[in-house]
Amino acid sequence: MSALLSVRGLGKRFGGLTALHDVSFAVGAGEIVGVMGANGAGKTTLFSLIAGNSRPSAGTIEFDGAPVVGLRPDQICRRGVARTFQIVKPFPSLTVLENLRTGAMFGHAQLRRRADADAASLQVLEEVGLASFAERLASSLTLSGQKRLEIARCVATGARLLLLDEVMAGLTPTEVGQMLTTLRHLQASRGLTLLVIEHVMRALMELCGRIVVLHHGELIAEGTPAQIGDNEKVLSVYFGAHA
Amino acid sequence: MNNLWGDRAWLAAVTIGVIAMSALPFVANDYLVGTGLTLLMWLALTQSWCVLSKMTGYVSLGHVVFYGLGAYLMVVTWQQLPFVVVILAAGVLAALFAALVGLPVLRVRGPYFVILTFGLAELVKFSIMAAESASGTASRILFGTPDLVVVYFSMFALALLATGLLTWVSRSRFGHGLRSLRENEEAAETLGVPVVRFKLIAFVLSAAIPGMVGAVMALRSTYFVVGGVFDPMISITVIAMAILGGGDNAKGPVLGVVFLFLIQELLWANAPLLYMIILGAILITFVLLLPNGLVGLAGARTRRREARAVEARP
Repeated sequence: MSALLSVRGLGKRFGGLTALHDVSFAVGAGEIVGVMGANGAGKTTLFSLIAGNSRPSAGTIEFDGAPVVGLRPDQICRRGVARTFQIVKPFPSLTVLENLRTGAMFGHAQLRRRADADAASLQVLEEVGLASFAERLASSLTLSGQKRLEIARCVATGARLLLLDEVMAGLTPTEVGQMLTTLRHLQASRGLTLLVIEHVMRALMELCGRIVVLHHGELIAEGTPAQIGDNEKVLSVYFGAHA
Repeated sequence: MNNLWGDRAWLAAVTIGVIAMSALPFVANDYLVGTGLTLLMWLALTQSWCVLSKMTGYVSLGHVVFYGLGAYLMVVTWQQLPFVVVILAAGVLAALFAALVGLPVLRVRGPYFVILTFGLAELVKFSIMAAESASGTASRILFGTPDLVVVYFSMFALALLATGLLTWVSRSRFGHGLRSLRENEEAAETLGVPVVRFKLIAFVLSAAIPGMVGAVMALRSTYFVVGGVFDPMISITVIAMAILGGGDNAKGPVLGVVFLFLIQELLWANAPLLYMIILGAILITFVLLLPNGLVGLAGARTRRREARAVEARP
């Protein structure tokens, strides 16, 4: 499997604080890869570097064989990378459909005509179960709805790689189950590649084919969910030295 | 759309307004023509302000700087160049100034942007004031300005241009990008909106028209003092009109300008001291109770009527 995303020697310092240090991994096209780690491990920083919201202090990031470090977030989005935010950032006074229209018009898909953008957006809303809310204001959605909206907005860009930052945090077990179904469907039907930060372990273990684990900004383990579950270093970080 | 303030009603209102304002100079006395000219000036200024501030949420308190620059250019070039050329040049000058200061100014938002734009306008005002003082000029008078009807139709063209510009922006892909960045700049950028470029284009477009308006109004007043054409009350009045009108399309400024202008005309002559008190009360009422302005009020009435119609269905 060829690497769609390749991260090599990635580092990020904020003054004296090292948020990421020498992180390297690759994600193949069509893979679902989880990113695990305690709070402050550097997971969201990693997403911000890949999406262009922040510039790395060291290392390279390649998407589809081309370097993306130094590009603006909008340029990276047009290349085919879209991200959600840990704290959701919908466009509150726009409708759900208008939220998606932005992604469809300006993202990788570049559907510049409103009719084309809306048709594609409605298709995505059907797939994530928000079609009946298309004309509602985004601010009227529940947290679960707003998380779905963020995913839908990313899909509407026509992105090939989705960076999903805790899209299941704060959801009920039923909603987590529905979200897993939606993500699997989107991945299968659209051939998407997903990089998923999640604290809901059950979801991460069920969804991902591979997991990378960050601790204090360093990549300490990489493997299948079963391998990660048995990894002594990971167990030590999560449960203490004598786990 | 079949509501009273829908597209067809809007088109009809615009058509009637254009016909009425076109006929005004031929049927009314100079006072009324002058009043119509002032109304068109506020319309052009408010529509152009909305291109940046309503669409992006970057509330500018320095719109007057472009107006003042345009007026100043007309005054210093008077009788050296054809006034039509100067009007167009004033638009270019204001746009260039916006492009020059846009990148640093648009890096801040919220109250910082408001204060920065106000400060920028004051900086330009006092710089020109200093330059005028250094040259020994306290004020200037323009002789041989064009007839009132010519000035009137120049302003009419600018009002139409500004209305057309905001109508286009609000319906375009560019406008959708501006609305998105208004809602959340970081999210908009990660969805592909080139936010820096879009903000700068909106700022430049928003600046060009007040530059031309200032140049035309210099022909109307014929008497120039720096403090008059850079008066911050011009910016504040524009914001008040935009708030009263509401919305982020060309309908809001039309309603807001006509509404406030009528209040001004009614109260200014009859109760000048009461005017500012009443204006303040109206603005507070709108901000607290009608944040979407007259456009929002019209929309709410329509929605209630449609809801009653749905309930009445068998």
